[in-house]
Amino acid sequence: MTTQDVTLQINGRAHRLAVRLDTTLLTVLREGLALTGAKRGCNQGVCGACTVLLDGRPVRGCLTLAHDAEDRAITTIEGLGAEPNPVQAALAEAGAVQCGFCTPGMVMAATAFLRDHPAPSLEAVREGLSGNLCRCSGYRKVVEAVHRAGGGAP
Amino acid sequence: MTLLHKPATAAEAVRLLAADPDARPLAGGATLVAMMNADLARPSALVALRHVASLATISRAADGTSRIGAMRRHRETVHESDLRGAQRIVALAAARIANPTVRNMGTIGGSIAFADPAADYPAALVAADAVVEIVGPQGTRELTAEAFFVDWYATALRPGEIVAAVRLPPGPLGAVARYDKLVRVTGDFAIASVAVVAVVRDGAFAALRLAVGGCGPRPVRVAEAEALLVGARPGSPRIAEAAAALGAACDPVDDVRASAAYRRRVVPRMVAHALGTLLAPEARAA
Amino acid sequence: MRIEDSFEVAAPIEHVWAAIVDPVVIGACLPGCRSIETLGPTSYRAVVGVELGPIKALFNLQVELREQRPPSFVATVTRGEEGTRASTLQAESTLRLEAIDGGTRVAYASDVALVGRLGKFGLGVMRKKAESLGRSFAETFRARITQAGAA
Repeated sequence: MTTQDVTLQINGRAHRLAVRLDTTLLTVLREGLALTGAKRGCNQGVCGACTVLLDGRPVRGCLTLAHDAEDRAITTIEGLGAEPNPVQAALAEAGAVQCGFCTPGMVMAATAFLRDHPAPSLEAVREGLSGNLCRCSGYRKVVEAVHRAGGGAP
Repeated sequence: MTLLHKPATAAEAVRLLAADPDARPLAGGATLVAMMNADLARPSALVALRHVASLATISRAADGTSRIGAMRRHRETVHESDLRGAQRIVALAAARIANPTVRNMGTIGGSIAFADPAADYPAALVAADAVVEIVGPQGTRELTAEAFFVDWYATALRPGEIVAAVRLPPGPLGAVARYDKLVRVTGDFAIASVAVVAVVRDGAFAALRLAVGGCGPRPVRVAEAEALLVGARPGSPRIAEAAAALGAACDPVDDVRASAAYRRRVVPRMVAHALGTLLAPEARAA
Repeated sequence: MRIEDSFEVAAPIEHVWAAIVDPVVIGACLPGCRSIETLGPTSYRAVVGVELGPIKALFNLQVELREQRPPSFVATVTRGEEGTRASTLQAESTLRLEAIDGGTRVAYASDVALVGRLGKFGLGVMRKKAESLGRSFAETFRARITQAGAA
């Protein structure tokens, strides 16, 4: 199938790659650039394991075509920095990670959520993370950790 | 050959689509890319509508009509302060679509062009008496939402046409909106949904439009049931009668969410509940 | 998925039987049928296009007659695929004709198994699609038979 070059701005760096029309941003990240933090769960936009930020907002990496991401700022979990951010620190402290497959997507969704919703209620955290599934069903600690990271009472 | 076109105007987008019958318009990608991933769609090229500024605006006319550009994201529609009275039904429906991440991506034009009967906008747009503005190779035309949705996953859009905007009339003075959605889990598609726009005066319905979603090829609306409800007060037998009429007009399917039989049973209860709550809002608070 | 329905035709059972086992008539009445060819006394090949919303599928089908009892009963087995085997289809179908007052009742039943990409779309909507294809077939067939009778 035909490929065409695109330039993607990922974590502040420009990457030029030849990609097919049907290649998703998730595939480019994982298979083209070895940025394997974003996970391929359902590849249908349901599970949220592929969540990355596009111009600062969480989106499904699996539903974003690489060609359509060309002029936008892409942030993956690898781009959050070497030190754990407050969400990552809170998840680690709460033991809110079981198998870990959903965690990068949770971190990206939660980081954007807390930026837009300071000091949220537990209910608001649940709604904010409702697009991220945890197959281990370890939601309780995830929600509590994000709530705490946002400044909510423990 | 360009794989992904980035036209700056709707006319250019339509020209590109008309030139290649296997090209598809790309809005937010939430549905089309999922279908491509599932090998259900194999477009030869895509025409990204994201760069067409005129599709991304919302405006409010002097008479109170709101025009939502096709590329408005669900997130934007949820928080749109220009949507008032009867128009609120569209914001209420938008708030129930999927989850915050998908609402960052999906657009109103993309959603209705796919016409999933279990999606949230179709019933809301029919209840709002919305008009769909369409642009295509032959120019522009418009259709009522009721005429736009024609069958399972099928709209009145012709080859090469795209949705340009959805126009919501101001609706009757004092109208309130209610959107109820029965789901297995928050963010799922509806087992059934009920969208109502109503004016309640002196404890009775003075005007009303109601559509049921997720229970047939297109939103279900029964004009006779609406006529029956005008003047109805809490506890009126006409509410149960109208609710039964809507249930009877449904043509649901068995799917992973619920059986058709369950949907036929639950729709009259959902309709009666929505109507009862609109007539007695204090009951909801209690 | 089991599809069952029936329709009535204002023509004698012998006329209906002759038409309903004629691949040319079937091909002309089946919505989306691009071509139908006779492979042998009991087998046919048909190419049928089906559209469901944005999805367009072209099925290559092989139909085998398993049992025939003129003028009232046919059983067939259909196997096929679409999109270079992206989905495969198998169907066991029966057709029963019964003389009634003023004509013939045609009752059909089909057990359809659809596996692959189209299987992902959900059986509920597939069933509605199959039912609507069945109704459309019945209408065209009825019109064709009664026109032929009138001529």
